[in-house]
Amino acid sequence: MIRVTRLHKRFVAGRGRRARSVAAVAGVDFVAADGAITALLGPNGAGKTTTLRIAAGLLEADAGSVSVDGIEVASAPRAALARMGVLSDSRGLYPRLTARENIVYYGRLQGMAREAAEARALALARLLEMVPLLDRRTEGFSQGERMKTALARALVHDPHNIVLDEPTNGLDVLATRSLRAALLQLRGAGKCVVVSTHIMQEVQRLADRVVLVSHGRTVAEGSVAELCALAGEADFEEAFVKLAFSADERAAGVAAAASASAATVPASGGMAA
Amino acid sequence: MRGAWTVYLKELVDALRDRRTLVTVLLSSVAVGPFVLVLVSSLVAGIEQRAEARTVVVAGIEHAPSLANYFARQTFVVRAAPPDYEEQLRRSRLGDPVVVVSAGFEAALRAGEAPLVEVVSSASNQRASTGVGPVFRLLRGFDREQVVLRVALRGVAPALLEAVRVEERDLADAATRAARLATMVPFFVLMAMLYGALNAALDTTAGERERGSLEPLLMTPVPRAALVLGKWGAVGSVAMLIAVLSCLSFLPGQWLLRSEALAAMFRFGWREAAWFVALLLPLAGALSALLMALAARCKSFKEAQANATVVVLAVSLLPLVTVFNQEGEAPWHLWLPALAQSTLMGRVLKGEALPLADLAVPMLVSAAVAALSLAYVARLLRQSVLR
Repeated sequence: MIRVTRLHKRFVAGRGRRARSVAAVAGVDFVAADGAITALLGPNGAGKTTTLRIAAGLLEADAGSVSVDGIEVASAPRAALARMGVLSDSRGLYPRLTARENIVYYGRLQGMAREAAEARALALARLLEMVPLLDRRTEGFSQGERMKTALARALVHDPHNIVLDEPTNGLDVLATRSLRAALLQLRGAGKCVVVSTHIMQEVQRLADRVVLVSHGRTVAEGSVAELCALAGEADFEEAFVKLAFSADERAAGVAAAASASAATVPASGGMAA
Repeated sequence: MRGAWTVYLKELVDALRDRRTLVTVLLSSVAVGPFVLVLVSSLVAGIEQRAEARTVVVAGIEHAPSLANYFARQTFVVRAAPPDYEEQLRRSRLGDPVVVVSAGFEAALRAGEAPLVEVVSSASNQRASTGVGPVFRLLRGFDREQVVLRVALRGVAPALLEAVRVEERDLADAATRAARLATMVPFFVLMAMLYGALNAALDTTAGERERGSLEPLLMTPVPRAALVLGKWGAVGSVAMLIAVLSCLSFLPGQWLLRSEALAAMFRFGWREAAWFVALLLPLAGALSALLMALAARCKSFKEAQANATVVVLAVSLLPLVTVFNQEGEAPWHLWLPALAQSTLMGRVLKGEALPLADLAVPMLVSAAVAALSLAYVARLLRQSVLR
């Protein structure tokens, strides 16, 4: 279980007199339960990645706290990290090592014995349908193959809590489907899965619970149906827009979209002719 | 500690699999040393060969039968100079100085008029100017013989003409003379080691960041200090491996020495190689750590390479201090990394003793540089990776 309580984080951009402070996270608050997939849904720049980075111990929060299975990340980062598998947005692999070596290396870093790490790499490869990739060097892997290897690497120590930051970025349909199947399987095994995303369909298909994040804050929380009911909209996308953006922002967005479509209509008409 | 060992093994495998880079380093740094050694040896062998050949190139020997007679008695073979010898000397096509005898030589000699004999060479013609000394000595011998004959004819003891006896005595023994030739060996070994460390150090720090694999690495429970230690160990090992290979490459290199005298003088055996490796070990650690510290704050490999040039330049220029500084070795030389090692390696080649105090200073300096650099890298990693 991951519990995020009133998290705050400011970044300072620029230097000297031009320095200005930007609030990246200003009160994110949620609980991700075991045996469920919790989606962190929000527009770009809402503070999802910063929240997950604080959860992974890469950043220190200005205020608030993150606890993993009751362990505070800020005070005992190593114990918390051992209970967490994180697939962050930077998922670089070692190109001169094989997929298996990449995965086993992380198993060893997590304190596993070599045999246990090897066995686990094979089990994960079966789960993620990547057994034929295991003994190839990761140089020249496709996006999907990279993601699978990085995910296997993050899961090698069989963590109880799994955090994925925009996992489907750059993946094609088949890779996305196979990732989704793997995540559902992990949920079935009682894991606590947190996925950050800005893609509606993904949330609708996967999430048991949705945490809407906007302007660095949790603005709403619940299942897809609950959020639709809360917004009074039948369509989830409409509900999301209504809940995540203020009326002014929505008006500005509509105006921008209108002017953009007005500009493109003659061009597309010309194309059709 | 187990984490550090895991990181060490992985980084070592990773670095050794980078075949293309390793081959380039081996070819450019390890193979070049012996190659230059062989080149120099063939030059020296050429000079020796000329000395043994006992030939003298003369223009106008027909004007001087008595000189020709003297050359013959000294078992020198006279070769006639080509007509355009001046041009050939200038263009370094002729490798011997030319003795020019004037037309009225024999008559002038008989008349006691001290005829002129010129030894023509060019300072820009290395081979010819090294031959000037022996030719000069040969001509002085002829001059002396003539003088002694004249004086004796007049009933004067030849010893009277010699108020002072001047003789040359060279203090350098075979080993010291060899060291002059071998001064380039430490330089090549140092550079080979540096290039060995360079790529590995950049790859484990800036490369890791550029690939996006640093962040996942920092999300493992391994302490940052263990990460840094493991990486440092691997970079240092690669550097040492290259240094050892470079030292060993000089062992067969000297079998290729064409000149026997030179081969006898160039003392670089297993003992010297072992000393070199021992002297380089602390420096390998220090340079690896320093390069890692420089690269760790860079976002890309390219930026790190630009930063590392400073270290490369320093390591290649510092040993030159001993070349430019004619006053010999100064105590402060031992306090500068790279310069200290090349000085001490020079002493090993000269067969001199290495007092413990002289070994301790560079070792301490290296340890300090390594410790500071590693602490800096660990601090950088601890702070944040999101820059």
